[in-house]
Amino acid sequence: MSQSTNMKATLAQCKAELLRTVRNRRFVIFSFIMPVVFYFIFTNTVGGNTQVGNVDWKSYYLMSMTVYGVVGASITSYAQRLSRERSQGWLSLLKITPLPSWSYVLSKVLSQAVINLAIIIVMFLVGGLFKGVDLSVSTWITCGLFIFIGGFSFMGLGTLIGSIKNADFVQVLSMICYMGLSILGGLWFPTDTMSSTMKTIAHLTPTYRLGQGAWDAVAGVSIDWGGVGILVAYVVVFLAISSYIMKKQEAV
Amino acid sequence: MSFAIELNNVSKIYQGKKAVDNLSLKVEKGTVIALLGPNGAGKTTTISMILGLKQPTSGTIKLLGGSPKDISVRNRIGAMLQEVSVIDNLKVAETIELFRNYYSNPLSLQELLRISGLEKEKDKMAASLSGGQQRRLGFALAASGDPEIIFLDEPTVGMDVTSRQMFWDTIRSMADKGRTVVLTTHYLEEADSLADRIVVINQGKVVADGSPSQIKAETTGRVISFTAGTSVTSEQLLALPGVIDVEWNGRRVKLQSRDTDRLIVTLIEQRIDMKDIEIQSGGLEDAFQAIVHSTN
Repeated sequence: MSQSTNMKATLAQCKAELLRTVRNRRFVIFSFIMPVVFYFIFTNTVGGNTQVGNVDWKSYYLMSMTVYGVVGASITSYAQRLSRERSQGWLSLLKITPLPSWSYVLSKVLSQAVINLAIIIVMFLVGGLFKGVDLSVSTWITCGLFIFIGGFSFMGLGTLIGSIKNADFVQVLSMICYMGLSILGGLWFPTDTMSSTMKTIAHLTPTYRLGQGAWDAVAGVSIDWGGVGILVAYVVVFLAISSYIMKKQEAV
Repeated sequence: MSFAIELNNVSKIYQGKKAVDNLSLKVEKGTVIALLGPNGAGKTTTISMILGLKQPTSGTIKLLGGSPKDISVRNRIGAMLQEVSVIDNLKVAETIELFRNYYSNPLSLQELLRISGLEKEKDKMAASLSGGQQRRLGFALAASGDPEIIFLDEPTVGMDVTSRQMFWDTIRSMADKGRTVVLTTHYLEEADSLADRIVVINQGKVVADGSPSQIKAETTGRVISFTAGTSVTSEQLLALPGVIDVEWNGRRVKLQSRDTDRLIVTLIEQRIDMKDIEIQSGGLEDAFQAIVHSTN
């Protein structure tokens, strides 16, 4: 196969992924509407002078909700797309085509990158334009980049959930994981408001660790490499389990 | 001679049970071959192995001279699997367009919509199509790379009569272009009208292999019937070479034979007193039932 055919196939695959994503109502609701609405509700109800650590509430919560949207895109819509492909025999059909498997994986990653970037940009625009979140250019970029790069780790969890073939079970499980991890990880309510036990649990979640990078950047605190390490460890575990499950499913 | 498909002593064992049992098969390019057999005979397993979706327990498989897992081989084949596959949230035309982009020399979108009869449905969501329409979309996807070999596993299940007729025409025109077509089917009429070679599989083995007329002749043979004059007796007829069975109905006689061409010559040479002579071949349905029963 020529290089140009591979390129063409990868781009077509990306385009199809993006179309499927924007047409998925759950994606639009959980990754755009909900974070934006939550952001407006909780920045309007909580007083303007409130601070978390020494960060403005509206800046802090903007990062929380951006992470919430990015996590949702991977756990709900990406996992759902993956599960559908498996349960409907689409993957078997792809195996007969000349589409190389690396191109399949690459297009998943590329399209998720576009999706995550779009969520980050939309959320930052909402915060900056409508709520007057005022950060330095370098802080905006650091926060955005951390959420963008760290966001890929949730593709690992999405892949794990998507390896289950039963679509109904996937829907339920992805909602439980999504809401559970968001609440436990302090995306809805900051961990500062939690009891010490809950805080300990929160610090073990990947959602907290993704948020932490952005919260720290807003606060001007340098990056917590221990936190990054925990996030990376999750990715390794998620990918290891999901590749084990997929191998087992194929070995029939 | 290079073969489109070559299976040498292929076996597949599932949990101690042989789904495919030491099967060897060579298919020449340009053949329309039908794999026929009862449910669970091993047809789908055989196709899955040829396509590289399943690994044979033993034996070797060559597809277009290479491995089915070679991307260059996959570029030259297409398949419609038994399991209906549609992708969520994509329209019919978008799904076909996606597949076209996988291949180096695809057919045009218009052509694919035409041969699958989905021109009117092109802007519908693929998942909202009826079962028969989804099968036709599957066919368009299988044909999208303009394949040299196309595999069709139970292609017309769920299609109405008109769709089936249109589908057969498409298969014939592919065959005319020198494409190799491999189909499995339950519809004997389908195998009879499309295939130039039929391979009957039962319990994982090839139990019959030949052109539709050979298969019919080999098993049930053919029948000569006539109204016999008063001098004709059963003993006399049974003594003729090639007669398997004699059946009387009044003065009407039915002779079963493997080779009715020779028998009719013999009957005339022996000056048997005959009127209203008819020669019939047994149906493929009878042949198929006979083969399956004799191998069970």
